[in-house]
Amino acid sequence: MRFSDAITRCAGLLAGLLVAVPAVVAQEPEALTVVTWGGAYEAAQKTAVFVPFTEATGIPVEVKRYSGAIGSLRKRAEAESWDVIDMLEADAITGCEDGLLRKLRHDEILGGLDRAVRRDFAPTRLRPCSLPQNVFATVMAYDDRAYPGLKPTRIEDFFDVEEFPGKRAIHRSPDVILEWALMAEGVPAAQVYDLLSTDRGLRLALRRLEALRGHIVWWEDAGAPARLLEKGEVAMASGYNGRFFAAAQDRGAPVSVIWDGRLIGTDVWAMPVTTDRPEAVRAFLEFAARPEVMAGLAARIPYGPARKSAMEWIGLHPESGVPMRDHLPNAPQHGARMLVRDSVWYSHTEAIRERRFEAWLEKGGG
Amino acid sequence: MTSPASSGQALTPPGRPGHPAYRAGILTLCAIGVGTLASLAAIGLTEAVFWLNDILLIAPRARVQLDAQGYLVPVATVLVPVLGGLVVALVLRHLSPVHRPLGPPDVIEAVQFERPLPPLRAGIASTLAAMVSLGAGASVGQYGPMVYLGAMLGGLVRRLRLGVPNLPAISVACGVAAAIATAFNAPIAGLVFAHEVVLRHYSTQSFAPTTVAAATGYVMANVVFERPALFLVRFDGVEHGHEFALFAALGILAAGLAILFMRLILLVSARAAQSSLPALLRPAAAGLALGLAALWLPDVLGIGKETLRFATIPGAFAPGELAVLVIAKLALTALCIGFGFAGGVFSPALLIGILFGALFWTAIDATALVATSGVAVYAICGMMALTSPVIGAPLTTILIVFELTRNYDITIAAMVAVVFSNLVAHRFFGRSLFDVQLARRGTDLSKGRDRARLAALPVSRFCAESPIIGATGQDLEDLRARLDRSAWSEAFVTDPQGRFAGVLDRQAAGTTWDEALRAPARRFDETTSVLQAMQALRGFVGDAVPVIDSRNGVLIGVVSEAAVIEAYLDVSAALRREENAVL
Repeated sequence: MRFSDAITRCAGLLAGLLVAVPAVVAQEPEALTVVTWGGAYEAAQKTAVFVPFTEATGIPVEVKRYSGAIGSLRKRAEAESWDVIDMLEADAITGCEDGLLRKLRHDEILGGLDRAVRRDFAPTRLRPCSLPQNVFATVMAYDDRAYPGLKPTRIEDFFDVEEFPGKRAIHRSPDVILEWALMAEGVPAAQVYDLLSTDRGLRLALRRLEALRGHIVWWEDAGAPARLLEKGEVAMASGYNGRFFAAAQDRGAPVSVIWDGRLIGTDVWAMPVTTDRPEAVRAFLEFAARPEVMAGLAARIPYGPARKSAMEWIGLHPESGVPMRDHLPNAPQHGARMLVRDSVWYSHTEAIRERRFEAWLEKGGG
Repeated sequence: MTSPASSGQALTPPGRPGHPAYRAGILTLCAIGVGTLASLAAIGLTEAVFWLNDILLIAPRARVQLDAQGYLVPVATVLVPVLGGLVVALVLRHLSPVHRPLGPPDVIEAVQFERPLPPLRAGIASTLAAMVSLGAGASVGQYGPMVYLGAMLGGLVRRLRLGVPNLPAISVACGVAAAIATAFNAPIAGLVFAHEVVLRHYSTQSFAPTTVAAATGYVMANVVFERPALFLVRFDGVEHGHEFALFAALGILAAGLAILFMRLILLVSARAAQSSLPALLRPAAAGLALGLAALWLPDVLGIGKETLRFATIPGAFAPGELAVLVIAKLALTALCIGFGFAGGVFSPALLIGILFGALFWTAIDATALVATSGVAVYAICGMMALTSPVIGAPLTTILIVFELTRNYDITIAAMVAVVFSNLVAHRFFGRSLFDVQLARRGTDLSKGRDRARLAALPVSRFCAESPIIGATGQDLEDLRARLDRSAWSEAFVTDPQGRFAGVLDRQAAGTTWDEALRAPARRFDETTSVLQAMQALRGFVGDAVPVIDSRNGVLIGVVSEAAVIEAYLDVSAALRREENAVL
């Protein structure tokens, strides 16, 4: 195993170099446009993935930012010559079905595609247009200063403004918050998506959200919830676990994460059909999918690597020395109540959820 | 006196049971083997139904993902049950030798009378029909077919002729226990169900293997396949003492609804059989009604897992909606089962009950007269109180609540509702839908299994080997001479055509047949059971009773009083041996 791994890695590296060599000869190699989410996440990616990639292949990386919406893929990809995009898996499924993303040759990228490789990625799946890169959690966090006494511990507390007063920062999207609303109604995680598939389920979730009307600050940028908490503008927020971790670790912000009811999602790499450099993209994906590269990212921001083989590479945070495994979404001490996003369902129900959510918003604003 | 001609198939001769170690080994292997197979089959059936529900757009999770495809979902809603019904009818007509779905009543009948189950082909066809019915969203249950499937696998052991007493019944019970243990992820309930509904007695010999089979089912479900508990409910306990009175009231009301449900099923089944609609189209007709109703009330489709959950959330349904759903589900289930879809009554009963429980709570809550602990506990009480009389298994129901919800407080509350419901329904309807269905087929278990067995045993099987029989065409004195030489005090006389003419006593005077013969004090016919014979022999003085064919008056044979008593004692002894068997 080890030996063959090494071989495939060398082969991949060689392929990358082969792609890179003509570019080097041309003196001014054209930069690869990688689109990602900004903030602490982008900073970690830069150190762990982009810079080492350029060092290894000579291909410079130009970073562009977006807020994850599939709409921006339609509008901006061609104009800004996007080459690789960091996406939520559900969006990648939609993009793939709508013909916005190019199909990936996983066997070439991963140097062969046998059962061992698939098992290494399980439970995430190698879908036609996407390469899983990391596993993140959407969690709730609170401002320590807001609750000096009794502290929120459960999803139910997020919806309880009487016991836990204060503004809530919530992603302006039907994602996550509807799942939480049903969990707060006592629906077991395993049944959440079944119930949300019915009209009654959507109605109940929005009814639960009604309890927060007038207490919500909507956010769109993934870095916002941590900032809002830090500035004391909200008392609780929904957001990605890595961002809250970065705020607390790097900036010493008084932010505590509640892992109860966390939603586990998969983040993937995808290639828009409009790219004119598929070979360079493949070299990038080959590099980014290496276990040690994945582990390098996880050491800087606590998003779990998509490959199990990367877990053993994860040690301490390079600057703060925090043991990172404890902060990964799938660490066992975070409690049993969690929900894994059903990306296919997400992708196919976006329209209906969006419609119901917007209608709810129009009824009386946040 | 003569002994019975044959002790009959229904009486297991004590035989020569093998060495205890051999019997223990066989029973253990049988429990584990049947348990594993039944458990895998139950999981397989569940998964197949999930899969069908998914691709046939019955499951909400599949429907919502195609919501944008215009008329696809509504068209599927109507067409799938109709076509499913057609397939079910074709499967039962062409693949099943008995041409009907099989279920728990067939299992009970086979075990109680030590008969083999219907042919394997009939069982497989019935399972297939149930899979299609459930997959196509018919309003029927999955547990009845699962029980039959488990029993069918257990029934295979009978073919091996392993020489262990009571093994056929025990292995069937093992299959049933494992199927329930797996399906509900509830091994204790599986074990109790097999005893309460199928075996109807508790002996160590059957208890031990059934327990092993249930545990095997649990291991398969939990350890091997890691299936989650079915219906976890968060509940912090009953807050007020007076609520137990409410639970009892709910139980009594639920019993009324359960009786209505069962009567409706029986009525629709009976009417369907007489209707002019060809049997091949009946399930499709029910499917059409179901599909059209589902356009407006999608909750009536299929097993309704989502609806079960919603019923435990306060305010998920408006009160009117609950009432309409209860009635619709009740009527459509009766229609689906009566019109020939293959499936059980358990899951629909759960759904009707939980909606009724939620309705009950909504009514109580609306009056604002008494404080309550929330809708969940009432919903679950209603669910179990309605289901228990339908399957006739209060203890199983209570344990199912415990194992499904893993919540002790809810179990205690449900226990109260269940027991009142069972009491009322048993008094005014019968022990269970299964028992009443069996009684309508001529097998009455309501007075206990000994009586049922005696009632199922025709006395004609115990005719004496060599009674003194004469015919009026022969010489009267010859017959007198034969009678004198024999141990009998009576001779039985027919006319030359074999029709019974009368009894000739040893002391009878007269020189012609007409003067000498007398009418018999008692007469049996081909349908007389040992039970009826025992009752008829009360106060009877004499040797024997003629058994006369009621259709043509022909003398079938003669049964001695002693043979009837022996048959009675044999049945009792067989039951006693079975019920007290240790190994």
